[in-house]
Formats: sequence, structure tokens, C-alpha cells
Amino acid sequence: MSAPRDYEGIRRSAFGSFVTWAVVAAVLIWAAADPELELSRLAESGPRIVEFLGRMVPPDLSVLSVAWASTAETLRIAILGTVGCIVLSIGFGILGAQNLTPAWVHVPVKALLAVIRGIPLILVAMLMVGAVGLGALPGILAIAFHATGMLAKFYSEAIESIAPEPVEALESAGASFVQRMRFGAWPQIAPDILRDTLFRFEMNLRESLILGIVGAGGIGFYIQTYVRSFQYDKVATLALVVIAIIVMIELVNNALRRRLR
Amino acid sequence: MDAVALKSISFAYQATTAAALSVPDLRIPQGQRVALIGASGAGKSTLMRLLDGRLRGWQGRARVLDQELDPTRRPPRAWRRQVGFIFQSYALVERLDLHANVLNGRLGHISPWASLTGRFSPRDHQIAHAALAEVGLADLAGRRVDRLSGGQRQRVAIARCLAQEPAMILADEPISSLDPETAATVLQLLQAIVRQRGATLILSSHQPQLIAPHVDRFIAMDAGRIVFDGRPADLDEERLAAIYKGASDVRAA
Repeated sequence: MSAPRDYEGIRRSAFGSFVTWAVVAAVLIWAAADPELELSRLAESGPRIVEFLGRMVPPDLSVLSVAWASTAETLRIAILGTVGCIVLSIGFGILGAQNLTPAWVHVPVKALLAVIRGIPLILVAMLMVGAVGLGALPGILAIAFHATGMLAKFYSEAIESIAPEPVEALESAGASFVQRMRFGAWPQIAPDILRDTLFRFEMNLRESLILGIVGAGGIGFYIQTYVRSFQYDKVATLALVVIAIIVMIELVNNALRRRLR
Repeated sequence: MDAVALKSISFAYQATTAAALSVPDLRIPQGQRVALIGASGAGKSTLMRLLDGRLRGWQGRARVLDQELDPTRRPPRAWRRQVGFIFQSYALVERLDLHANVLNGRLGHISPWASLTGRFSPRDHQIAHAALAEVGLADLAGRRVDRLSGGQRQRVAIARCLAQEPAMILADEPISSLDPETAATVLQLLQAIVRQRGATLILSSHQPQLIAPHVDRFIAMDAGRIVFDGRPADLDEERLAAIYKGASDVRAA
């Protein structure tokens, strides 16, 4: 008879799930039990939030030209940073593809990419500002470095998905190496590569907004300046410009991506 | 003139394993239609890869279409384009349309660097279009391959092979993933094509009865060796059964 054993198993798994929930509850209680954290303040500050938001209207349009100029700089940082990460990702993507390189190459390359992904952009940007000084250049370098962690991984995975048979068929038909890559391999992954790149560009744009805070160029610098000096009506204008740009880029990207299948 | 002349060929995938291919002597005249049969792993695909110039590390002498093959290197492009290969799995670029896939068959004829732009000459386009028409798919030229059925895919692969203007066609189990009716259509198509062009056809299959009417000669393989070589009429039920059981003493008289 196996009934008692089954019963044991059920009891044990019920106990296991009780332990899991107890641990989750303990972690949540520990996180919230900080004496500095007074949730009552959230309730009290209702009127303050209303007043704070009220100071954002009407937006001060006198900073519109600053907003456009610095958004343009952020956009430039995102574009050039994306170009940089594409160049790096082509190299690391090929090196990290397990169907192209031996294990002693692609395993360390993939580990390196994971480490790069683990370093927050803002930290990279601070280091770059330290290395090359203030301005757009450290922002571009930071984006290029940071985004490679993800994009090169995507490129590797795309390359690994290439079916070898069509490429071999072209070899049989007399195609040269370059022709096999151009007509056999590239068409298999082109839509994925372009879609991943557009996706990363969009992320780069959103992430580059904060670069100005550490002096790495773009609109972030002005947002921080106006927030610190309590000029919320100017912040509102900057926020609107940022939202407009992001929505525009997303619409264009979505339209492009829909065609990439 | 022989399209294929093999002498003392042997090949093993690893030095320690048994020979995957061991062919003392094999000649196939230009224009002959040959069927390769035998159980999976008998060496049919290995032999075809050798004839296509894609196998490395074999020993012996292999002369195919007036070219002495070198076991250490890929044959020249001008030779490779003369040998068309049809794959069991079609080996098409799924995300490209039919016309683009058939145009790929022209790559052996055009300058590698000029082709990088993706622009083919009007003549190449014409040849590709004619090849698609020959397999009856001209109407679907602009459709993506991933929207086709298996039979249609294999016809596109045949059209790509035709665009190469090959003197010899190697077809590795071209009908094994097709239903009997579609398989018959594909076989008729292949037969018509090689007849019309005087090309040599070598095809492997697990369906000897189905291909018997379409070929001049059967070559049966087992464990890398040729165990039967003769006319379709000489291949009776008994011999067939022996071949697929792995018996190695069914040589034709």
C-alpha cells in the first residue's frame, strides 16, 4: 500500500510552502520595520502633493528653447551611444556565439557581457565623467558600454539561431564565403537584429535622460537644476518635451518593428 | 564520359570508428539516373556529400565532372555551381520570398563582390523566373517561403538547383518528408528536368518502389559498402528485404 507515503509527501510539501510564505512575510516585515519610515507621512502629505503639482501649472514656456536644445543633445547621445554599442555588439556578438567560436572564447565573452549588464548605467556614467570630463562624450561612452551588455547578448542569440542548412546549400551552389553570409545567413536574422537594435535604441534614449544628473550631458542636467531650485513650472515644460520625444520615437519604432518579421 | 569515377574511396568520421564509406570502384556515366538505397546510416548521405565536394578527410581518388576532388579543400566555385544539391530539409532561407531563394542558385555564376548589393542582372532574374515557372510556382514568386507547404518548398529547392544550370543533380532523400502524391510529382519533375538537360541524377530514398520507374540504376548500400548495383528490374522483393536487413551478400550477378 502506498497511500501513507503519498500522504507523507503531501504533508511535507504543505509544510514546505508554509516555510516559503513565512520567509516572504518575514522579509516584508523586516523591510517595512525601519523606524525612519513613517507611512503616516504619506497620508499627511496629501495637501502638499496637491500644492506641489499645482506649482507645475502653468508650465513655464520660457525654457522651451533650453528644453529642445538639451533634449536634442540627449537624443544625440542616445543615437551615437547606440551606434557605439552596435559596433561593440557586432564584435562581441560574433565572439559570444557558440556556433562560431570555441567554448574558451564564447563562455568568457558571455560572462563578461553579464558583468557589463550588472553595472548600472549611472555608475558607468560617473566613471566616464571622471575619465574624460563633463559633457556629451562621457554620456555617449557610457551608453555604448552599458548597452553592449544586452545588445551583444541578443546578437549572439540571433547568430546562434542561424540554420546551417541554407548556408550549406549556397556553398553547394558555388557561393563564396561573403555571399553565403550575405544571402544565406544574414536574411535569416536581419529582422531580429534590426528589431533588437531598435528596442535597445529606445531603452538608450530613456536611460540617457538621467545622464545629465552626473554631468554626462543632456536634459537631465536641467531637470535636476530646476527641481533643486523648486522651479516646478520649468520642470513641467522639460517633462512635457521629454514625453513628446519619447512617445514620438516609440510610435516610429513600433511602426518599423511591425514590418520586421 | 563518366560523370562520376571513384577509385578506392574510404572514409571514417573518426579514426577509431568503422568506415562510413568504402567504395573500391564506382562509375556513373553522364546522363544516367541513379537511385541510392539502403538503411539509415548506410553511407548514402556521406557518398553524396563526397560527390558534392563537401566531405573532407577521405582517401582514394574521386573524379567528378572532370574535376579531381581534393579531400583537404573546397572545390572551386565554377565546379560547385555545376553540381546541384537538393536537401531533404529543403535548406531554403525561410524569411526570403521564392524568387530571392531561387536567385541564390545564381550566386555561383556572379562576382562575389558585385553581388553584395543584392542586385542581380536581368538575365539572372530571367533564369530564376523561368526555373520557378518550370516547377509551377511562378505565381507565388513574391511569397515568403515560410508560408509554403512541404511539397511547395521542395519544388522551390528544385528551382534553385535549376537556376544553377547544373550538369549533375544530387538529391538527398528529396521525397522522404512528402506525401505519396506530392512525392510522385516531385519525382516526375526531377526526371523531366534531367532528361531535358542531359544531366546526371543521383537520388537517395527509402522508397525503392516509388522511385523505380524514374531511374536507370539502383545502387544499394550497407555499412558504407555497395551491396547491390544493377537495373531496377533486378531488384526483387527478396533482395530488397535483405538490403534493409543489413545483409552484405546481395551483390548482383
